[in-house]
Amino acid sequence: MSSDVRFTDFKSDKQPTWCPGCGDFGTMNGMMKALANTGNDPDNTFVVAGIGCSGKIGTYMHSYALHGVHGRALPVGTGVKMARPDVEVMVAGGDGDGYSIGAGHFVHAVRRNVDMTYVVMDNRIYGLTKGQASPTSRSDFETSTTPEGPKQPPVNPLALALASGASFIAQSFSSDAMRHAEIVEKAIEHDGFGFVNVFSPCVTFNDVDTYDYFRDSLVDLQEDEDHDPHDYEAAKEVILDSEKEYQGVMYQDENSVPYHEKHGVTEDMSEIPDGAPEDAMDLVREFY
Amino acid sequence: MAEDLNWAIGGEAGDGIDSTGKIFAQALSRAGRHVFTSKDFASRIRGGYTAYKIRTSVEQVQSVVDRLDILVALTQRTIDENLDELHEGSAIIYDGERSWDAEIPDEMTAVDVPLKSLAEEAGGAIMRNIVALGAACKITGFDVEYLDEALEKRFGGKGSKIVENNKEAARAGQEYVEENYDLSHLGYDVETTDNDYVLLNGNEAVGMGALAAGCRFYAGYPITPATSIMEYLTGRIEDYGGHVVQAEDELSAINMALGAARGGARSMTATSGAGIDLMTETFGLVAQSETPLVIADVQRSGPSTGMPTKQEQGDLNMALYGGHGEVPRFVVAPTSITECFWKTVEAFNLAEKYQTPVFLVSDLAMSVTEQTFPPEAFDMDEVEIDRGKLVDEDEADEWLDAQGHFRAHAVTEDGVSPRAIPGTTDAAHMSTGLEHDELGRRTEEEDERVQQVDKRNRKVETAREQEDWDYREFGDPDADNLVISWGSNEGALVEALDYLEADGIDVRVISVPYIFPRPDLTEEIEAADETIVVECNANGQFADVIEHDVLTRVKRINKYTGVRFKADELADDITEKLTEEVPA
Ligand SMILES: Cc1ncc(C[n+]2csc(CCOP(=O)(O)OP(=O)(O)O)c2C)c(N)n1
Ligand code: SF4
Repeated sequence: MSSDVRFTDFKSDKQPTWCPGCGDFGTMNGMMKALANTGNDPDNTFVVAGIGCSGKIGTYMHSYALHGVHGRALPVGTGVKMARPDVEVMVAGGDGDGYSIGAGHFVHAVRRNVDMTYVVMDNRIYGLTKGQASPTSRSDFETSTTPEGPKQPPVNPLALALASGASFIAQSFSSDAMRHAEIVEKAIEHDGFGFVNVFSPCVTFNDVDTYDYFRDSLVDLQEDEDHDPHDYEAAKEVILDSEKEYQGVMYQDENSVPYHEKHGVTEDMSEIPDGAPEDAMDLVREFY
Repeated sequence: MAEDLNWAIGGEAGDGIDSTGKIFAQALSRAGRHVFTSKDFASRIRGGYTAYKIRTSVEQVQSVVDRLDILVALTQRTIDENLDELHEGSAIIYDGERSWDAEIPDEMTAVDVPLKSLAEEAGGAIMRNIVALGAACKITGFDVEYLDEALEKRFGGKGSKIVENNKEAARAGQEYVEENYDLSHLGYDVETTDNDYVLLNGNEAVGMGALAAGCRFYAGYPITPATSIMEYLTGRIEDYGGHVVQAEDELSAINMALGAARGGARSMTATSGAGIDLMTETFGLVAQSETPLVIADVQRSGPSTGMPTKQEQGDLNMALYGGHGEVPRFVVAPTSITECFWKTVEAFNLAEKYQTPVFLVSDLAMSVTEQTFPPEAFDMDEVEIDRGKLVDEDEADEWLDAQGHFRAHAVTEDGVSPRAIPGTTDAAHMSTGLEHDELGRRTEEEDERVQQVDKRNRKVETAREQEDWDYREFGDPDADNLVISWGSNEGALVEALDYLEADGIDVRVISVPYIFPRPDLTEEIEAADETIVVECNANGQFADVIEHDVLTRVKRINKYTGVRFKADELADDITEKLTEEVPA
């Protein structure tokens, strides 16, 4: 692929309809930069998007793309990658999309370790449906459908990924543009399922998990010289830390072998013969 | 009518009934005899009555009948369940040494064979069914050497010792009967021929059709009776560079298949019952994003979990109307096991030519029934692949708008847009379940909405004109009595014609493999005095659409016991219906 691809080549000319100030702008820019920096171009990239404000990303980016149904983007990405191991696959969605309706798919996509990158725009709220609680909302977060808060603890997506056997777990903050792009880049380069939970604030419906909140509270693992992402125990510690939230690569399995390599799914499945394969009569003879 | 022999083995689930039956069916097929099998099974793994029935003849057989000549009964229940199919000439093989006292009606021939002891002598009690097969060979005059071939095929992979022990077990059964019984009065003498046949079931035919048609990706979630399509493809699709994924659920399965199709692979999923409901969500997305995808529904008895191991054709309305909004689709329903193969090939072509989901609707009876065919019935040279408007880089150039964007959902006269897969230079584009413009980008503009809806619907119109939505026909084309059927009822109907003819009743049978679009039967129905629609459901879903098409009431024969039609039974039903008044 051409090395002169710039991140703007991944931009479509459709103007985003996100609220001014929405975290998703930064998340998307970082994704485009990461794709360009890792040597991809729109013709060899497939972006699968979920449903939600976050899911609109497929519309604003330029590449081969599919905007699917709520919660099912990961299986679509899995299918694309199996059929076309040569294609760079990136899947994006929201916290509701990925950890609520799509939670089952998340667990299984993680454990399959298909070589794709999954970016979740975590705003801890349902944006598109106008402000209901999401699985990552705090238990006392008041919304139109949970006036007294969801009354249940939030899902910890990083821990869910870890428990499911993830080979790459990271977290970033959309407004920390450089770091965010860098982290997504690492996820793309990872051989296997690269999972990045991105804090992507909703300025319209979430007045708790704001830019200021993340800016003030996030701890960058880069500044922690001791954190070795290849150390599972260390990863567990930061992921399960209930006091602090981190950005950076928490965990990366150095020995990760992606699904398609492990299971020999390496052929371009789009090419098939004009008629039945030459030896197809053998299929019939099997039934003698 | 063919001089045929009906044979069955029955016992508890877990007794190896299925594999024993299959071995015997294979032996008969090797001997150049036609075979048609049917299975009774309960929805449990151990315990519960289960039986494997084989009808065999030198002529083609394609239905079950109400007659049993040889019964291997491992339990009393096997005898009780089949009592009304047994007759004076029936022989019942059982093991008198077992703890149960077999109650066998006097007029039948009881053949007491110490199955277990003989099997143990040959190397293990597990082979008692094979001893019974040997005994059955002796009774029917069937050369046990054909059984040897089937045993080699079945156990060859487990080593020569196992094969030898099994052959010995079969011989032990054969010799025991020879030494202890004179059964010449039964008069069975099974004829063999030099013909080579293949023996396979409907799901295997679907799987084989998929491979022949270039299917390279399959994702599914296990469910009876669709699972064996996945089992067939697993282990074979890899030989062609493809892959099967067992997904976490049907929602995932269909979305994976969709993803692979967007990647450019011929892709498929199959399910039944509850699974098809789960897939309905994404079914709309497949249509809206104009993705070619084959979705097989191997119908079983519903609703809900219904009777999961029983026959029904109750999903036709779902296939025709399922999904929110208005969804253009094709619904193809094979009418025989060979058609399971050919219609699968066709389903892939339709999907890619028109960039739509295609429902391939089959049913439990077809999926588990094994039948013999000459191998030429699956002539691979006849397989044609049509990938439709799949464009390469140069062709894609012709579909760019003024700004250089690829018009993936271009509004065309025939309703079919160009299709570019990843890697095609300058054709990168977005597809979505949202209403979209020609570029695939979200729109709520009235004009664009109408244009896209019309465009998608036009595909169906184009296909109506371009493809042959024909039917299969049997019986007397000039008969006043018309019987219409879909799915697996065809075989029984065709055989019912023999019974009807014997009674002097002429019938024209039309068997319809296309549910949507479907052949227009107005002329045929108008030409007939009486029209009857036969189907395995309670409400007559196909009869409804026929009435809707031709604006005439038709008579209905519906069976929803969970068991497929039998030829003799259908003949009686038809005779009865012909004299019935049409409801006003
Ligand atoms: C099956 C289904 N149920 C419900 C919806 C409605 N819906 C659209 S977006 C959404 C929630 C999105 O939340 P999240 O994933 O957090 O994304 P955000 O909008 O916050 O970016 C819901 C429930 C839908 N589209 N499909
Ligand atoms: S509602 Fe929230 S998430 Fe949606 S666009 Fe606006 S700010 Fe972004």
